[in-house]
Amino acid sequence: MSSTTDLLRLMSWLSPVFPTGGYAYSGGLEQMVHGGAIHDAQSLKGRIAALLKDGPPWNDAVLFAAAFRSSADGETIEELSELARAMAGSLERHREALDQGAAFLAAAANWFEAGALPASPTPLCVAVGAACGLQSMPAEEALAAFLHAWVSNQLQAAIRLSVVGQSGAARLLSELEPAIAETAARAKASTPGDLGSCTILADIAAMNHETLEPRLFLS
Amino acid sequence: MTIAAPPPAVMQRSHGAGLIAVKSVTNRTRLDRLHQSGNAKIRIPETRTECLEAVLINTAGGITGGDTLNWTVECGMNTATVVTTQACERIYKSLGENGRQTTAITVDEGASLFWLPQETILFQGGRLQRTLEVSLADDARFLGLEAVLLGREAMGETLDDAFLHDRWRIRRAGNLLHADDLRLDLRSNNTLHDPSILAANRAFATLVWVGPEEDGEVRALRLGRVRALLAGSAGASAVGPKLLIRMAAPSGYALRRQLMPVLEHLLDGRGLPKVWRT
Repeated sequence: MSSTTDLLRLMSWLSPVFPTGGYAYSGGLEQMVHGGAIHDAQSLKGRIAALLKDGPPWNDAVLFAAAFRSSADGETIEELSELARAMAGSLERHREALDQGAAFLAAAANWFEAGALPASPTPLCVAVGAACGLQSMPAEEALAAFLHAWVSNQLQAAIRLSVVGQSGAARLLSELEPAIAETAARAKASTPGDLGSCTILADIAAMNHETLEPRLFLS
Repeated sequence: MTIAAPPPAVMQRSHGAGLIAVKSVTNRTRLDRLHQSGNAKIRIPETRTECLEAVLINTAGGITGGDTLNWTVECGMNTATVVTTQACERIYKSLGENGRQTTAITVDEGASLFWLPQETILFQGGRLQRTLEVSLADDARFLGLEAVLLGREAMGETLDDAFLHDRWRIRRAGNLLHADDLRLDLRSNNTLHDPSILAANRAFATLVWVGPEEDGEVRALRLGRVRALLAGSAGASAVGPKLLIRMAAPSGYALRRQLMPVLEHLLDGRGLPKVWRT
């Protein structure tokens, strides 16, 4: 398959137009904005970089890489799904991962023969990792696209929460490029033994979002 | 004049393994088997309740590079057990190797285990790789705590070289119910101050409670009660049959003050072990 086809598929599957419903989730950002910890472009950049390196997105990238490598092995994919579900640190994060995973698999079915993709409940990171692996895409590029989609989604949420404007978000996209690329490269070489996070206050914020009223986001 | 050469640095590795198995005898939890080797010791203080209390002791006084410490806890049917540690576990400077600690827990039908070790204190240069594997029967109950302090707060010590990887896996009837990998690596970079990591806090704790299947209303009620007891930086969430609680605090003392009411509530009238009350 040509690299142009790979690029187009990654862009389609991880596009805001793809019906995974990512726009509805903030991954705890809304709570941290509400609490004042995130209040400008600089603090937003710090959060995104910390989560990429040491937070749930890092774990998602490790599980993505493992699912990518084992995409044809249904039993391993089921084990990775179970692990990803068990790692969800709050109810909203659990829903965010599973609802987006189910929506992704339904829409991605347009590219696959029936039964080729994992069945639900498969969390998003394992679902996208398996789909990219089944298409034999380049692993590091697929990981970078997956992480980039998460960063874009955080920035989109930050715009709606009035933390940054459109041009501020564009500057952060540029500044965060090295962090995305480094995380993708690190994740490509990872195994599930490299799982690990320490974003304790972000985890607490994700829990406390459950009782935030009023709210714009589902997480 | 000759100056006596300092003694060569012989790094004495410490190893310990302890096992405790309990069984139910006429509605009271009694000791079934006990094995201890190396620097691992287990004490069973007298209690007046039907619940057995076990106190784990690491006679080495801490863990450094190359040390191993392995605990096994086996809870027989319909038993109730509280396990704690005699002291905080101190993780001392290592020359590069990780210290290793493993804990394996099984909780049979109708049994309850409260795993409440005192805080782990991570000192400058400390390195610890720790795993907790829990295997629960369908209707078993489990409460697990992990509390960590970073450095000697009284001396204003700032850590910039320490490593902690704490892996938890909780299975029920063979299915993975909970997985958590706390990984704090202060060598690669020090971003503890980040508002997503710890900000000004130097102590943190995670609590996991798992109970039998029950209706959603009971779960919601428990979550509400726990939330009402939270203070400071803390959050709680219920995911299926598990309840997760995380806390962060500026000091070990502040963390204990946040923890105690929640622990007392989740112990459901069993009373905190003595080491937690002093």
